[in-house]
Amino acid sequence: MIDCAQQNPMPEAAAYRRPPEVVMRLARMGSFHQTRLSFMRSLLRRLKREHWTFKRGLWEIGDDGFGRAVYTVYGPERAYSLVAFSHDLPDHMRSDRVIATAWDATFALYDGVPDTADLDRLEQNVPKQEAGRISDSELSLARANRSVRLWQHVIDALAAGRQPDREQLEAVGYLVRTTAVYGSGKFGAADRLTIAERPEVSAPFQAELLSVWLIRAFALDLVEHIAAARGGAQAVAIEPELRRRIGVGNSTGLGMAPFLINHPALLNNWMMAREEAIARVRSLEHAEPAAIEDFKRHFEHARFNVSQWHSEHPIQIEKLQALTADLEKMADYMQRESLADDHPWDRFYRWAEQHLSLEGQEQLVSLLLEPYGELVDDLTQCMDADEHLSFFIDGSMPLTRLREILESQCQWALSVDYDDPANCARFWYTSAEKLEPRVGERFDEPGAEYELPLAVGRDMQRMYTTLAAAPDDMSTAEFVLAHPEYRHTVRRVQNLAKHPYAEIQDNLIAADMLPIDILRCKLSFFGATKFDPRSDRWVRICMFQDAPFPHELLASAS
Amino acid sequence: MSLRLTLAEIESYLRKAARARGLHWGIAEEAGKAARWLGAFDLPGPETLLAHLQQINGEDYPNWIPDCSREPWQAPGGLLCPIITGAALADRSAQMLDGKVFHLAATAYPLLLAATVGQAARCHRQVFTTAWADVRVSCFENGLSIEGNRDDLLLARVAGVSCQRDDLTEPRQLPSTLAYRIDSELFRRIDELALQTYAPATAESRAGAGAGLTDND
Repeated sequence: MIDCAQQNPMPEAAAYRRPPEVVMRLARMGSFHQTRLSFMRSLLRRLKREHWTFKRGLWEIGDDGFGRAVYTVYGPERAYSLVAFSHDLPDHMRSDRVIATAWDATFALYDGVPDTADLDRLEQNVPKQEAGRISDSELSLARANRSVRLWQHVIDALAAGRQPDREQLEAVGYLVRTTAVYGSGKFGAADRLTIAERPEVSAPFQAELLSVWLIRAFALDLVEHIAAARGGAQAVAIEPELRRRIGVGNSTGLGMAPFLINHPALLNNWMMAREEAIARVRSLEHAEPAAIEDFKRHFEHARFNVSQWHSEHPIQIEKLQALTADLEKMADYMQRESLADDHPWDRFYRWAEQHLSLEGQEQLVSLLLEPYGELVDDLTQCMDADEHLSFFIDGSMPLTRLREILESQCQWALSVDYDDPANCARFWYTSAEKLEPRVGERFDEPGAEYELPLAVGRDMQRMYTTLAAAPDDMSTAEFVLAHPEYRHTVRRVQNLAKHPYAEIQDNLIAADMLPIDILRCKLSFFGATKFDPRSDRWVRICMFQDAPFPHELLASAS
Repeated sequence: MSLRLTLAEIESYLRKAARARGLHWGIAEEAGKAARWLGAFDLPGPETLLAHLQQINGEDYPNWIPDCSREPWQAPGGLLCPIITGAALADRSAQMLDGKVFHLAATAYPLLLAATVGQAARCHRQVFTTAWADVRVSCFENGLSIEGNRDDLLLARVAGVSCQRDDLTEPRQLPSTLAYRIDSELFRRIDELALQTYAPATAESRAGAGAGLTDND
């Protein structure tokens, strides 16, 4: 069931695994929190474990804060460099929307260490982002905007010799927000094949997240540099502890939502790894005192994080209130019940299912993994996917089997009345203006003829209806030749037989579908925190908050 | 003038171009993969697919598909679509593993057919050889080999094609991840097709996508 089946040292955990019909619901996926399997955390663990080194190889930044810089990390076999450009951006041009054309800073992740000719080439292209062109020497293209209020406050304070106000700093949580971080094969960047065989970057989104981690270091260096230029001798640097409280923000819209739907095998492997990890911990008969202490420490940290987590969006405000109450209930439970014996974590989880909101249940899930790195961290090796295998259609499959998969694994699709306008109110399409995915209102907007194949449940149901009229002795090969409109759906349904967590088990075109749930699920796998929806299809997050900086985690490269 | 495309871009543009010509998404996906697979070996997948897409339209689908009950397979319209037919062969690759040799009558752009069948070679980790005129193209899990007259590779139509599992052991050519260069004018035509799959922006779509709040905070 999991692509790397050899990673199954605990077969007894299978009995504790939550089934897809419980996990693959948008309301739950939209309540996920980062875990120790999240890609940011596995990236930093690897850099540390493999003794990577770090160097800021170039700093050509003027007193005004504009110019270019290079940050390089050196691994056992290869080096990767963030090439950063800082620009003078008028306020009226600052937009987090993907349709923006200028930014406070732009970045590329270079494969190796760039020379001056590379830097000059990148300087001609990277600041233009989509309108420029990068090469197969680059693994990622990104841009960021400042948090205007915090940026100015931090510089003013440091230049005057003061530390920035902790409260203000923690309320925002970042100095810059990335507004897009592009990877594999976009705008000329190296194809994923280039890095597929490199263990350090072959896991999902490692190159992109390495970029973000280095962008964070650049942003901090930049404010200290500007403050020093302005304040002269009286200027100070940020105290290390306070510095760590600053992450990188990110502002994300619908563009990334279809990813999880377009990569079913990958989604399955992310989910399977996460669910297997939870099941392993729940299957433990006893917990050692050290593990309990570790759990409690992370619990207190989660409580603190929730107190720092703000949102103005009504949906998230309600969820945060529930989560805050849930954490108090969890604290009571921990006072009352033994965490040591009688399958303590499984009991705790089953209690949570009865008494906590989805936010609280998923918070507990993340916390349960924290003390058990040795038990679960190996699962990060299972979070990639050979998507080619799930592209293949087994034409010899009898239609009875295809029907059987639909009936046993897709009731969530078959049970919906798609003739009800509320159940087919939306359609997904790509906007010609910015080549980005969007969600339209089927009955109020033109363009439904451009619908993307993301109405998964509806298409499954249509296929099921057509299958009912097909002769039993027909093969899948004959069916898809006669009904090419279902070829895409057949792929998905066959894939489900081996990848039970591959499909979101909700109606993706319903009037009440919340795209932010899909975004939050994906971003939680990245390792994001402080989800702050700005609408039902737009979310701000924080990344790498509290993580060490490159110069703290890694030794200096000579 | 030429332009450098990444393999991901080839797949994405050509999938959309195929969709724009009225092929369903599932078949368009096969088209994108075939163009990418050929591009990876520096073979003119995108150009050949563009040429084929210019002669096919989804509304004519029944005319281009194989009548599999006849031997050799043939199209009601006289010419088999290499993508649809290649996909139909890939779907039946288990039969080829059992030794069946498929014969096709008149077929358009057989190189595209070889590449579409080649996707099954990658999944089964087996070799499938497609032969036409004086050339044979064998697809491996991770490479391909071309034997015979390379001038026949790009034929726009051939009278007959055969397809079967093979016992070759070593591909002659492995994918190159280097840039695939395409003539700018041909790319413009592909892009023009791909654009037809995008909905023109409306006031609603612009308003709906963003946060609707200031970003100067």
